[in-house]
Amino acid sequence: MSHAGYIDPNVLIQTEGLKVYFVRGGFLAEKQITKAVDGVSIKINKGEVMALVGESGSGKTTLGRAMIGLQKPTEGKIIYNRDSSPVVITPKTKIIKHIRRELQMVYQDPYSSIDPYMKVYDALSMPLKYSKIKDKEYINKKIEEVLNMVGLPLDLINNYVFQLSGGQRQRLSIARALSLDPKFLVADEPVTMLDASLKGEIVDLLKKINKQTGITILFITHELPIAKIVANRISVMYKGKIVESGRAQTVLKDPLHPYTKVLLEAYPKINPESKDTIKTINVKESKIDTSKIQGCPFYDRCPFATQKCLEKMPDIKSMSSDHEVACWLY
Amino acid sequence: MPILSVKDFSIHFYTPKGVRKAVDKVNLDLNKKEVIGIAGESGSGKSTLAMGIMRLITPPGKIVGGKVLFNNEDILSYDEDKFNKEIRWKKISMIFQGSMNGFTPVFKIGQQIEEVLEVHEYKGNFKERVNELLKMVELDPSVSDKYPHELSGGMRQRAFIAMALALNPEILICDEPTTALDVITQAKIINLLKTLKKELGLSIIFITHDLALLSEISDRLYIMYAGSIMESGYSLDLYKNPKHPYTQLLMDSIADINKDYIKGIPGFMPDLANLPKGCRFSDRCPYAMEICKQKEPELKRIEGDRYVSCWLY
Ligand SMILES: Nc1ncnc2c1ncn2[C@@H]1O[C@H](COP(=O)(O)OP(=O)(O)OP(=O)(O)O)[C@@H](O)[C@H]1O
Ligand SMILES: Nc1ncnc2c1ncn2[C@@H]1O[C@H](COP(=O)(O)OP(=O)(O)O)[C@@H](O)[C@H]1O
Ligand code: SF4
Ligand code: SF4
Ligand SMILES: [Mg+2]
Ligand SMILES: [Mg+2]
Repeated sequence: MSHAGYIDPNVLIQTEGLKVYFVRGGFLAEKQITKAVDGVSIKINKGEVMALVGESGSGKTTLGRAMIGLQKPTEGKIIYNRDSSPVVITPKTKIIKHIRRELQMVYQDPYSSIDPYMKVYDALSMPLKYSKIKDKEYINKKIEEVLNMVGLPLDLINNYVFQLSGGQRQRLSIARALSLDPKFLVADEPVTMLDASLKGEIVDLLKKINKQTGITILFITHELPIAKIVANRISVMYKGKIVESGRAQTVLKDPLHPYTKVLLEAYPKINPESKDTIKTINVKESKIDTSKIQGCPFYDRCPFATQKCLEKMPDIKSMSSDHEVACWLY
Repeated sequence: MPILSVKDFSIHFYTPKGVRKAVDKVNLDLNKKEVIGIAGESGSGKSTLAMGIMRLITPPGKIVGGKVLFNNEDILSYDEDKFNKEIRWKKISMIFQGSMNGFTPVFKIGQQIEEVLEVHEYKGNFKERVNELLKMVELDPSVSDKYPHELSGGMRQRAFIAMALALNPEILICDEPTTALDVITQAKIINLLKTLKKELGLSIIFITHDLALLSEISDRLYIMYAGSIMESGYSLDLYKNPKHPYTQLLMDSIADINKDYIKGIPGFMPDLANLPKGCRFSDRCPYAMEICKQKEPELKRIEGDRYVSCWLY
């Protein structure tokens, strides 16, 4: 663990130049490097909900996992501003067991993240037991408390997980993560697999829990309207890099990065006057390999790309009090 | 005359917990060169309906009644051999939600498309046809020599569409073809389907729970709930003025960048083995009346092309 340096007391967790690379092959086969997270510096304030938006494969899950210590960084660091004293995670950090409980995750697929043949009670008591909590009375009280919090009826505890509906299962995974009283929750696409009528329920639930308990949430999604409803701030990720971030309302009303603009355009909207509101999106499929990128990762799909974009990655630049973008247009 | 007409179609699942009526006397028409949308919550029977039209229902499921007319001929009465030779993939083809994961990992894309051509006794040159199909879905011919894992999700879904079109079908059923894809890839697939519809004169059944997405492509809509059609009509009309309480709530639940909330539909879909008496939506409906709990409303025409199954009308 290295020295944390100065930390803004309002920040709960931040990353500095964080990189996570996956290497395949080597030895005999040609080495393939995937730069899943490539130099990310973000700050999440205490009590805030930050949305992390980007297409599949952009590195969102990997960033989220690294932030809670489930994925070893290749370079850079994560600083968790713990009440007593800040904890720093670097590539050299070995044991972070003592903070595991405080950093939790909810997964995308409510159907595969919990063993369906488990009873609801066991699904909830297991993480507590793993955290060496043995007091039966405490466990029962906690289970009751989290079930209440997520709006699941108490008499469900004797049911099997497979008997629950998709929405109920997602509530259960949230309850499970909350049972350890975490300070920081990474919700990885928690509504992507749910249909529209259930998305609203889960989004409202997470917002309510954030208000009630003050828990800080990183909400990963590729749906901008969901990000808008749930988050105070939005960070847009593309090929391992943050390309734009800022206050949710500002980013969505006044997107700056060409990629953010395309994301907004591509979202289907109902327009009762006509079909065809999805514009013929004028971006190509990307063919570049992240490991070979020198310049802007979006340049092969960007309608505004110039030679400069190909050669050099733009730095993230502050455009107003809470709106930053990494693009040579600005 | 519609190219496909489904009449009083019923499909039941015989489970230990009772008989689940996943498709319960469904009627729908698909006209030539038209896109119809089928929308409804998870578990409402959309996929079962599609698999039923393709005659791919396996036990404990069973088609228990109705007719499926293709150009006015009842293809439900064909024996399996005849159906497979004349209809499946040749006249009616289908892409699935997870199609892009449906390729066998150890064979190249081109080989897999050729396999379909061979099984169905395609008469022309296989290689040429594969290239033609890949071009149709805007993929480079070199994709033919790639293994599935070398392609992105969007490219694999295109390749699967190419395969589904291999034998020149007249009808393409798309079951949540973009649900697992991100929005940009999704928009590109939708644009591709629109182009194919125009160029090949395809008729399309598009299934999804995403009404906003459906508004981009469908000419007419069918709203399905708990195995039954609740409302149908022209899309533009139906989006402007939904009549059935379920349709209204479904519209409200759409996430939209201009809205600051999304509303869920309170309550749960009933167990399909144990439907409530009367209207199947009555236990969640804000307008439920006495009669709704007694008698099931019928799908009836209320104006123009609009059909609604609700006692309010
Ligand atoms: N093999 C099966 N055995 C028993 N019941 C089944 C089977 N397949 C489907 N069902 C039941 O039939 C009903 C309709 O399912 P179906 O998959 O058609 O719904 P759907 O509308 O396509 O849902 P989704 O939006 O989740 O894809 C559900 O109640 C489901 O549980
Ligand atoms: N354990 C792993 N080993 C190798 N590659 C991985 C691993 N996890 C993720 N990746 C790769 O890293 C990239 C980013 O993945 P991910 O973080 O899952 O993106 P997202 O969550 O935005 O879809 C992808 O190319 C993915 O294949
Ligand atoms: S830096 Fe250049 S290529 Fe990248 S988004 Fe901006 S204009 Fe496009
Ligand atoms: S029939 Fe009655 S319960 Fe059913 S949707 Fe209409 S008003 Fe609601
Ligand atoms: Mg992910
Ligand atoms: Mg389905």
